[in-house]
Amino acid sequence: MARNPIADEVAIVGLGSTGFSRDSGGRSAKALACEASIRAIRDAGLEPGDIDGLVGAAEPGGPQPQEMSAALGLPQVRHFSSPTPVAVFALVDAMNAIYSGSCDTVLLYFAYTRLPWNSRSAAQDPFRRRHTLGVMPAPESVNAAAAYAAWASRYIHEYDVPREAFGRVALNARASAAQNPLAAMKAPLSMEGYLGARMIREPLCLLDMDVPVDGADAFVLTRTERARAMTGSPIVIHAATVGLVGTNDEDQLPSLARHGQHVVVESLRAKSDLWLEDMDVFFPYDGFSIITLGWFENFGWCAPGGAGRFLEEHWDEASGRVMIEGRIPVNPHGGSLSEGATRGSGHIREAVMQLRGDAEARQVPGARNALIGCGGFFFNSQGAVLRRL
Amino acid sequence: MTEIPSDAELVERFPYARIDHDNKALYRGWLEKRLRMNRCDDCQRFHHPPKPVCPGCWSASLTPSEVSGRGVIHLAMFLHQGPPAPGVDYAKAPHPVVTVELAEQEGLRFTSTVVGCPVDEVRIGAPVELDWVDRFGAPFPVFRLAGSR
Repeated sequence: MARNPIADEVAIVGLGSTGFSRDSGGRSAKALACEASIRAIRDAGLEPGDIDGLVGAAEPGGPQPQEMSAALGLPQVRHFSSPTPVAVFALVDAMNAIYSGSCDTVLLYFAYTRLPWNSRSAAQDPFRRRHTLGVMPAPESVNAAAAYAAWASRYIHEYDVPREAFGRVALNARASAAQNPLAAMKAPLSMEGYLGARMIREPLCLLDMDVPVDGADAFVLTRTERARAMTGSPIVIHAATVGLVGTNDEDQLPSLARHGQHVVVESLRAKSDLWLEDMDVFFPYDGFSIITLGWFENFGWCAPGGAGRFLEEHWDEASGRVMIEGRIPVNPHGGSLSEGATRGSGHIREAVMQLRGDAEARQVPGARNALIGCGGFFFNSQGAVLRRL
Repeated sequence: MTEIPSDAELVERFPYARIDHDNKALYRGWLEKRLRMNRCDDCQRFHHPPKPVCPGCWSASLTPSEVSGRGVIHLAMFLHQGPPAPGVDYAKAPHPVVTVELAEQEGLRFTSTVVGCPVDEVRIGAPVELDWVDRFGAPFPVFRLAGSR
């Protein structure tokens, strides 16, 4: 058994979200972050003076922790950091800071703003236009986002996977988002609609890629001992990890059989007392649909190459969604593909809402345990198990 | 042997590249139409993209060494939109971007495009060889299907 002394020691006691849209109507990322943060602190029943840690994912265009401290008038902060996206890096940092005693109560925030290189409307915004990537890269690159299309080609080649396998990820997200007031994309989507969508980086089409949005999520975390005094049954981080292999340059990755997700799964499996059979809801990241298929296979829900068939076998025709073994929904908030590109904070937020019993129309009855596989294959693979005590 | 271009000239010749002290030899090679990848003087392993030490044995003794450019397509995607580049017209045909596993070493790969054939002949598993095209007045390494020259 791996060491996991931090198991259940840190709780998530506050949530706030602005909801997500293709256009926030001229609000800055900082304004969105402030709104979500104030909601989260109030949701926790705390005051500015109670927050002594500030962790904000370093999203492009998003506010730095010191800017947030100034905007929110936090009188004393003892730990602050700006971890690289995606979301579990920041969650792990907040968790460790609390457990180690660096600070007691963390405001954890994630603010997203559409950028000129991923949104035509953002490119029309005179303020946003100034955010650039610097050097305009050559098209012949499989770095960053393009890597997922490149490796999707390999996945299809190795396992002879039809496009419908990817399509089911998109359909599940869209049908789920329809039940989520925070989601950006709710128009119904059929398999015909998916198959007819515009190709972007073939084999991936527009609907295989997360939706750039404006919006923010915020969380308040504190020691579980303190959380118990605030609420009867706190939501805690049972285990959390990130994973990286040595050869993680996108085009040099040894194979689909060994990358960051595999390290995450091994690490999480060793740290967690709870595993697949104990889960009530599953959150595989879906910045690109191929990532979701990877999480299904690498967590061991099915064999390598088998995720498409697995989704088909566990498809609930009535709701147009995946229900694993007829009971475990997958990204019931709509994921990054349809709630919006929250880079994992939406997955964490929905997990907490489900475990609190606050998910309204999406609520999984009696949900106690949630499994999150966040990030992709290369340098942002992460995982977490959250539970209600 | 031409004069070695300065760092400043190198940056100017490749406006689309992020050039630094670790990868400058790669781009200097392109100006001579040579594809040179870092090879460890101690364990003889190639690696790419260029790193300051050999990831296999930590030797800092590395020599940018020419590779044949022969290999097999390992990854293949087709851009229907993307960054602008001379000679790339996304409206006319999707632009192939391939990662080629080079003959020199298992897992040693280089990413570029494929020229000189219809897009539907660009497939994973196809053998390719290196060629050079002009981009912004400087050589740019590309692949073509083996034997298609």
